[in-house]
Amino acid sequence: MRQLIKRELNSLWQSPWQLALVSYIPLIGVLALWWLFSAGLPRQLPVALVDLDNSQISRMLSRQLAANSVIAPQSFANEVQAIDAMRQAQVYAMVVLPHQLKKDLLTGHHPTIEIRYNSQFLLVGKLLSSQLQLSLAQGLTHIGQQRLLLNGANKATVDVSLTPITNQTTALFNRNNNYVGFLVPPILIALWQLLSMLVFVNSLNKELVFYQDRYYLPSNIGGLIVAKVLLYSPIMLLHSGFILLWLYHYLGLPAAGNLLDLVLAQLAMLLALWLLVLVIFMAMRESARSVSFCTALFAPAFAFMGITFPVNDMPLLAQWWRLVMPSSHYIDSHVSVISYGVQLPQVLAQIGSYWGYLFLLPIIVFLAYHGKKNPHDKANVALANQEASQ
Amino acid sequence: MNLWQLMLAECKAILADKAIVVTLFGGVLFYSVLYPLPYLQQVPTEQQVVVVDRDNSSLSRLVTRHADASAKIHILANLGSIDEAQTWIREGKAHGLLVIPANFRRDLLLGKGATLSYGGDASYFLIYSAVAEGLVAAGVDASKQVQLIGLLARGQNPKLAEQSINSITLNSVPAFNSSLGYTPYVVPGLFLLILHQTLLIGTGILGASQWRQKGYWQEVSPSQLVVARLSVFVLIYSVLSSFYLGYCFYWYQVSVAATIAQVALFMLPFLLATGALGIVLSCVFMRRDLPTQLYLIMSMPVLFVSGFVWPIALIPEPLVMASQVIPAVPAIMGMLELNQLGAGWLAIWPKWLQLWGLFAVFMCVAVIAVARKQKQATAINC
Repeated sequence: MRQLIKRELNSLWQSPWQLALVSYIPLIGVLALWWLFSAGLPRQLPVALVDLDNSQISRMLSRQLAANSVIAPQSFANEVQAIDAMRQAQVYAMVVLPHQLKKDLLTGHHPTIEIRYNSQFLLVGKLLSSQLQLSLAQGLTHIGQQRLLLNGANKATVDVSLTPITNQTTALFNRNNNYVGFLVPPILIALWQLLSMLVFVNSLNKELVFYQDRYYLPSNIGGLIVAKVLLYSPIMLLHSGFILLWLYHYLGLPAAGNLLDLVLAQLAMLLALWLLVLVIFMAMRESARSVSFCTALFAPAFAFMGITFPVNDMPLLAQWWRLVMPSSHYIDSHVSVISYGVQLPQVLAQIGSYWGYLFLLPIIVFLAYHGKKNPHDKANVALANQEASQ
Repeated sequence: MNLWQLMLAECKAILADKAIVVTLFGGVLFYSVLYPLPYLQQVPTEQQVVVVDRDNSSLSRLVTRHADASAKIHILANLGSIDEAQTWIREGKAHGLLVIPANFRRDLLLGKGATLSYGGDASYFLIYSAVAEGLVAAGVDASKQVQLIGLLARGQNPKLAEQSINSITLNSVPAFNSSLGYTPYVVPGLFLLILHQTLLIGTGILGASQWRQKGYWQEVSPSQLVVARLSVFVLIYSVLSSFYLGYCFYWYQVSVAATIAQVALFMLPFLLATGALGIVLSCVFMRRDLPTQLYLIMSMPVLFVSGFVWPIALIPEPLVMASQVIPAVPAIMGMLELNQLGAGWLAIWPKWLQLWGLFAVFMCVAVIAVARKQKQATAINC
């Protein structure tokens, strides 16, 4: 076994692409994706403000908007210009304070403040919609307060009669709605899964034996696979460990549970991933085709994790497909450990959800047995990688 | 060999390569179904929420019923304590909680005011926003009801009372994607990226496998080869793009604002620039299985840097600048503005010119790179 691992290390050393995949590509990928989202909280998003009233009240409302850290109001003279800016994605929302807003309020009419937000950019649009309403509503209570006081209401009861019920909303587990804590871990795990898959497929493809325009498996494929698993699992776990350390130690994102439990879950995910890759590799037995097939299978893994869009609202077919992806099993453990702080026993119970992958084992054994049936003995056989290097 | 014969030879070479056919046709078809699959129900509804009702009065039950009536929320159970609710959330049975304090109704009737607390699991943003929106709406509703009762009790005219509660209407309406659906949000950008990546992979595999073997590609001038290859790929991709931007947009209910001529005019430099970039990069690959791998790793960063998921203003400037050489980045944003937001042609004119500029640069580099490959090949054969 030691010899096989040495041989594996040797071939890793001789392949620049493979070496890049296990060394600097994951690091660059992880750091670049984090850097992209490193702002964390959406701030100062441009909003078009069309003030057709230009009264004391409308100016007070625009000051209220400017005081919100999410909103950066930009004044527009008329609606046409604001609509143009919105169509060109220069602003993400627009607020129209209507003509004679103050007069209508004073005379007991019923004015309407129009808000339009760009829902094509769903995340930004939704955030702006709620923040705009919040800021404007706060400004409007000032007006209500004044009116009540003018009517001779008692100062102490004014607040209560304006808003008898106050709302207190708490974002559990991710207090400030930080995007780095929400979006970056699943993205990095999806990237890590892709990289691990590529590393394993590449190293397997090297072992194919070429004979009479067909590829066959070598006779000692079992030992080779064990050596690869023993070598590449720790290497890839180093990278996932780096992700965890970077996010939860260096950046100091809150983590309720023990990170070592997560490493265990990552190992389980890797083993499940290896099994899937082995099935595909043995069924295809051609390097470009196994890479393409694995790519097709694992590229959309992020969409199926259920972080951006809840699992319960996915159609049944998507929920089944989700169970095929090892990353979606892992991300459940990730969220429970990081957010809910569950302990080792629960993590182990969650790892039990991989049981379906065990059915792949007999398939792999069968395919391996089938693939080894080389019509001639190995003497007159050219190695696949030799052929590839020509 | 004239250009037509060369294009025919290119076509044959593409169709004869199983890996390219699988990526170009199989991949594009497969992804058009698989990627939007999780989002087909568009909006998250009926999120599980538990209630901790410490008051148990007629009013607290009314609030609970109103919350349950919201399409976004499904009230699962009424629990005894906040600790118990925490366990439910931890076990994944519920995603939010509503706490109604003790003496809720009494305090309101006495005019003291009360606080309703909502919590949502912010590990999942869409769930959190659905829970928060649903519960806040129910709370505001209850608040207005209490106000109305109070005003009526003080002898106000019902009509006037109604008016003084809703003195101003905040009419917040989503624009462009009026259903707030998830597929209209994801599909336009994502599908352009799929076209971009598969086109790069196709040209990459074709190049990587040809440079190793003798063939028709050595017998023609480099510029002829590049022009022929580009036109064949662009022809194939004009069909695939029509399927994506035409039928798939219709099927996934993406809002469409531009005319077909505008879309075609914008897609032309995009496909040309991408194809030329693919030919340039194909000269770098030595093995057939490398292009798929490299482009696969690149696809997630390109998607996020293009600026429709995470606002461009918040992406670090160096990343934005560096990403401008990737044809997908100006194309995705330009296409969104043109086709989904309905900006005029003048607004996306700079991006269109940028794509043509990229095409010109890549085209020159492609001719030089192919010429070098041809020289290398003849040097080896001599």
